[in-house]
Amino acid sequence: MAKCELRVGGLGGQGVILCGMIIGKAASIYDGKEATLIQAFGPEARGSACSAQVTISDEVIGYPYVKSPDLLIVMSIDAAAQFVPTLKPGGLVLYETDMVSSMPPLPAGARALGIPATRFAEELGRRLVLNIVMVGFFAGVTGLVSWEAVEKAVRASVPKGTEDLNLRALRKGHDYGRELAAPKAEVAA
Amino acid sequence: MNLSCYPAKLALRDGSTVTLRPMEAKDGLGVLDFFRALPEEDRLFLRDNVTNAEWLDRFVRQIDFNAMVPLLAEHEGKVVGNATLQRSLHGWSTHVGELRVAVARAFQHKGLGSLLARELVRIAVDAGLEKMVVSVMDNQIGAKRAFEKLGFRPEAVLKGHVKDTHGAKRDLVIMSNDVSHIWEAMACLTRDYEPSLG
Repeated sequence: MAKCELRVGGLGGQGVILCGMIIGKAASIYDGKEATLIQAFGPEARGSACSAQVTISDEVIGYPYVKSPDLLIVMSIDAAAQFVPTLKPGGLVLYETDMVSSMPPLPAGARALGIPATRFAEELGRRLVLNIVMVGFFAGVTGLVSWEAVEKAVRASVPKGTEDLNLRALRKGHDYGRELAAPKAEVAA
Repeated sequence: MNLSCYPAKLALRDGSTVTLRPMEAKDGLGVLDFFRALPEEDRLFLRDNVTNAEWLDRFVRQIDFNAMVPLLAEHEGKVVGNATLQRSLHGWSTHVGELRVAVARAFQHKGLGSLLARELVRIAVDAGLEKMVVSVMDNQIGAKRAFEKLGFRPEAVLKGHVKDTHGAKRDLVIMSNDVSHIWEAMACLTRDYEPSLG
């Protein structure tokens, strides 16, 4: 992988920024790669559009903004409508199936994989960990960050006392992603 | 409630090890022996007549890990500690869990009580409970200190509510631990709000 540009999109309050931050932290601090994070918020704290742009690379990143991502993580129907048309041909969309009920037409060669992350999070006991399920799903499908790195990044990023549940959410998404992507998913880079 | 991490082998302060695991129906006799071996003054702290085989039979039959987690600590195949987390699945206090801990005399002052209580707190937080309560007698200094280390604070005192072995009335202290703030911190993290940009 030379460079992978990804965008995480959803609603404020879903933990979109934390999702992007953990992916970037896993790649840069724990996997030794380069990573950047750009955050964008809607005008209100909750319920409005929110997105994070993450770039992961083996080399120094000169430009951190993501205009046309290789990979999308979308957690709302609005985010899917807004960002899927910007996906590179051959790219990958990872989406939350309960929140994204309809997917815009994908660019040529692109594919989409869904996960009922909200339901998984609720089954684990907290809807709040939806974003961590998505982080695990991303790691499991793409392999762009190692399990060890993403586990450490989650442990270092979530409040004390919530680690166990967050790590279970991560594992749930990761295992689901690995199963769905088997034998191996390839991501445009 | 998620109990996938058990059985777990853990070390006590004196270097001895115990195995923690959820209680099962087949443990009935071992648990009965454990409770019967407790000194009478220790059994006073327990709400039910735990030396009664019929009570234990009823207890074992109502094990439902969603509503109740009875944890056992075993040493060399013998039950040396019992701790229970109970929650109501209906009504106005479904967010509250109640803890009860009992430790064999030979294993007291080795950190086993604290270890069992800490495990129950972890299970409760994972299960989404927001508050935990435990009842102690006012002269149970060690137990109070152990729960304080886990974040419990005295919330109510019921005057003359219990009688000790000598028939003297003592105060019952209800200690509570509000763990909702732990998840409030997580909610802050997922708020997706940047004040400088807002």
